[in-house]
Amino acid sequence: MLILQILTLEPAHGYSIAQRLEQKSKAVVQVNQGSLYPALHRLEQKGWLVAEWKPSETGREAKFYSLTRAGRRQLAIEKESWARLTSAVQLIFNEGGRP
Amino acid sequence: MKSLLNWLRRERLEDGLDRELTYHLNRRIADLVESGLTEQEARRQAVLELGGLTQIREEVRDVWLTRWVRDLVCDLRFSLRSLRRSPSFAVTVVLSLALGIGSVTAIWSLVDQVVLRVLPVAEPEQLVLVDWNGDQVAETRGSSNLMSYPFCRDLQSQDRYFTGVLCRHLTPVNLSTGGDPRQATAEIVSGSYFSVLGVGPTMGRVLREDDGQPGAHPVAVLEYGFWRSQLASAPDVIGRKIWINQHPATVVGVAAETFRGIDVGEVPAIWIPVTLTPQAIPGWLPVNNRRARWMQVLGRLRPGVSASQAQTGLQPWFKAMLEEDTRSEGFPHIMPERRARFLRSSIEITPAPEGHSSLRGRFGKPLWLLLTATAVLLGLACLNVAGLFLARCSARDREIRTRMALGASGARLGRQLLADSLLYALLGGLVGVIVAPLIMRTLISFVAADAPGDNNLQSDVDFRVLLFTFLVSSVAGILSGLAPAVQAGRDSLMSSLKERNGTVSGGVRLRKATITVQIAFTLLLLVGAALFVRTLSTLTGKGTGFSTSSLVSFGVNPSRNGYAPADASRLIRRIYEGVRALPATEGTAVANTRLLAGGSWSNPLTILAGERFGTGRDVRLNAVSPAFFATLGARIIAGRDFDERDSLTSGGTGPRAAIVNEAFVRRYFGGRSPLGARVCLGEGPSRKPDIEIVGVVANFNYSSLRDESEQAYFPIFAGRPTVGHFYVRVLGAPEAAFQSIRGAIRAADPALPITYYSSVDEQVNRSLSTERMLAALSSGFGALALLLSLVGVYGVMSFVVTHRTREIGVRIALGASRSSALWLVLRDAIVMVATGTAIAIPFVRVLGHFVESQLFGLKPTDPSTVAATILVLVLTGVGAALIPALRACSIDPTQALRFE
Repeated sequence: MLILQILTLEPAHGYSIAQRLEQKSKAVVQVNQGSLYPALHRLEQKGWLVAEWKPSETGREAKFYSLTRAGRRQLAIEKESWARLTSAVQLIFNEGGRP
Repeated sequence: MKSLLNWLRRERLEDGLDRELTYHLNRRIADLVESGLTEQEARRQAVLELGGLTQIREEVRDVWLTRWVRDLVCDLRFSLRSLRRSPSFAVTVVLSLALGIGSVTAIWSLVDQVVLRVLPVAEPEQLVLVDWNGDQVAETRGSSNLMSYPFCRDLQSQDRYFTGVLCRHLTPVNLSTGGDPRQATAEIVSGSYFSVLGVGPTMGRVLREDDGQPGAHPVAVLEYGFWRSQLASAPDVIGRKIWINQHPATVVGVAAETFRGIDVGEVPAIWIPVTLTPQAIPGWLPVNNRRARWMQVLGRLRPGVSASQAQTGLQPWFKAMLEEDTRSEGFPHIMPERRARFLRSSIEITPAPEGHSSLRGRFGKPLWLLLTATAVLLGLACLNVAGLFLARCSARDREIRTRMALGASGARLGRQLLADSLLYALLGGLVGVIVAPLIMRTLISFVAADAPGDNNLQSDVDFRVLLFTFLVSSVAGILSGLAPAVQAGRDSLMSSLKERNGTVSGGVRLRKATITVQIAFTLLLLVGAALFVRTLSTLTGKGTGFSTSSLVSFGVNPSRNGYAPADASRLIRRIYEGVRALPATEGTAVANTRLLAGGSWSNPLTILAGERFGTGRDVRLNAVSPAFFATLGARIIAGRDFDERDSLTSGGTGPRAAIVNEAFVRRYFGGRSPLGARVCLGEGPSRKPDIEIVGVVANFNYSSLRDESEQAYFPIFAGRPTVGHFYVRVLGAPEAAFQSIRGAIRAADPALPITYYSSVDEQVNRSLSTERMLAALSSGFGALALLLSLVGVYGVMSFVVTHRTREIGVRIALGASRSSALWLVLRDAIVMVATGTAIAIPFVRVLGHFVESQLFGLKPTDPSTVAATILVLVLTGVGAALIPALRACSIDPTQALRFE
């Protein structure tokens, strides 16, 4: 979900996705870089991402991933379910916080 | 689907992933170097962060291809490599499977077509075949299940049981669609035929009830295939004239494309109503005669009525009809016991959703036999494959255990072995698919060799069967492939890695049992093969009883070209004279019934020799010209041959002389001389025996090589010779004589077609086609089975020897003689062969029960045949075991002890 969210802004390649994840979450989310690539490929396989080779900002060829329409839809679904979950968790915490 | 695609472009994917990862690393290293690390440290750090590169690759690959697909691909490639390493193993397995699958499929497809296939008509399960059980006191034309046309009409009124009844008769006619007349098959049918079957037209209309009414306009319906091939699918065919034996008829329609008649073996070219019978079968009795037995009757049962209900329900009506028939005016005078036999007749109704088939009668049983044989063969092939797999897997025992020790799971190993079996099964099935149509084509050529006219058999393989046999053999292969894996999983790892010698494991016991069963099956197949081969050789060795070399035969049927009987007789006479005058001929004779073609002219006779008595059963009859016996080379044992005077008596008085064969004399005269005795056709007080027996001829075969009947001959030209079957002894090749003989026929009548022309040798051969098919195929299967078993015996024994090398070495070192080592191995083999034989022997009796009717001149349990077969099996079996046994006794003790 996080990967999808990052890609809503613009297409990116693997390395920059990893970096952005770290930056955006202010280093709270430490992405294991090893599992990033299998995840990217899995998403591509599911048709939520498409990839193309483009010259990167350093001028070398890199594989840029971008979100597909199905991917956006999936992101919406996941966001919603995440929101439900967090709000539910929030409710339970609030409940517990009351004396 | 997607993963398959991925597999196909896996190289590009791999490449892309590599580039992607390299890019990532380089960027990271660059960033790290920027932050102040040295190049080397940066690289180390970057790789650490990323985790193992190989691991990522593996994980990503798992995303591309699901795990098991990837494993399967690897396994298959591994199997393929090991297959290439041991080609002989591969060839044996694949061929075993292919032959098993191929032959079962081929023969089953044929059985299906000949015996089982349901007619392409509306609700075929309601169709029944009506049969008359008993003596019909009638003249016969055709082969089986025959009744008269009036009887069929009577049955049509029985609407309590039937919604409709049809009858049919197939006959060859000279058919012209405008050009020269050609021989074709016409089906004479009742007007109800198409409506009862529920078959419609492709164009025009089919025959209707009113087409069969007396005085109806002569019409015909064409068969779809005939219309397409002979009339080039002419769209304007409706209303055209065709000529049936030179009598015109109007085409009113073409039948539905899928409908090719009721009989698989004989597809008619046209259907004509019963009113055209006098034109289609000149000289045959009027269709309304109850004493003419010629039509097959089929009915469609009313829904909810079963065949047996109809049979019981119709019996009283049938009996009443018989009674009435005997009182009718035209009923012939017959002996009381024959009359009683007539009245005892019953009606029989059997389900016939497959229609009727002349092929079914002839080939049904042989085909079932062959099917059983091939099923056994498939079983053998599976056992063999199982045995081979077991052997290979015990050879791979160590490999498997090492893999397990290295951490492979049982399931993973099982999958690997499964892939192995799957590969072989696939290959076997593939070759089987190629082999099956070849076998079928051969079989059909056997079957078609003596089936008249067009037949409906196709070498299409039934793919359901192919799939089924394929599955059976795959399952067998897979199970046997898995057995060692299971076994490996059971044993403790440590012990099995340590223990390499000594005891023969359970796998071998299983294999020995397999081989024993194989031997039993093989013996059965071999006995069958030996019986059929001996039958064939007895029949060919025996010959026809007359000399067939340089004898040719041909037929003409002038009545089909519009000749009246007297004119036809004169024309045959002219042809006879013409052929006799040819320089290329040595002897010429004519008969009115063809020899060795399965048909006959039969009738009971009354004999007057001191006292008067009837033969009580049919005697085979023939009308022949003078010098018939001389031309054939059949010896006149007593009396004289016919001469011209006998033949000249045409003019209403009938024949005055007869010649009978030895069998006739033996049966009715007890060996006394029959010369001077008198006979006549038929039985009954009104018959006057006035034909003198003037000669006795040596026995020879009439309808087939198995036929050893009583025969009587009358001079031709005096009876009703509307057809002529010529027998000509030619000088030189039969083919060369054809031109001059055809010239002689053309000279007599240029428009007269020759119905057949062939050497008698060829006819004899053709009449043996069933026997030859059985002998050829069963000995083929037998040889194959023997080979499979020998491979099995050899395989298991050499495996045993390898396994026991150390033990045998120790024994020899301790002073055992070499011959005792030899015996040690041979004993095993002998026990297997003997047990197999013992199992098989009771079944030989069962087998005999099935094949008895196909044999000639020997019993199915013929002791010498069975004994010879067992001897062959034992000798070859022991021979196969001898090779490993010799290896066992040449074991060098010191080497054996060092072995591993």
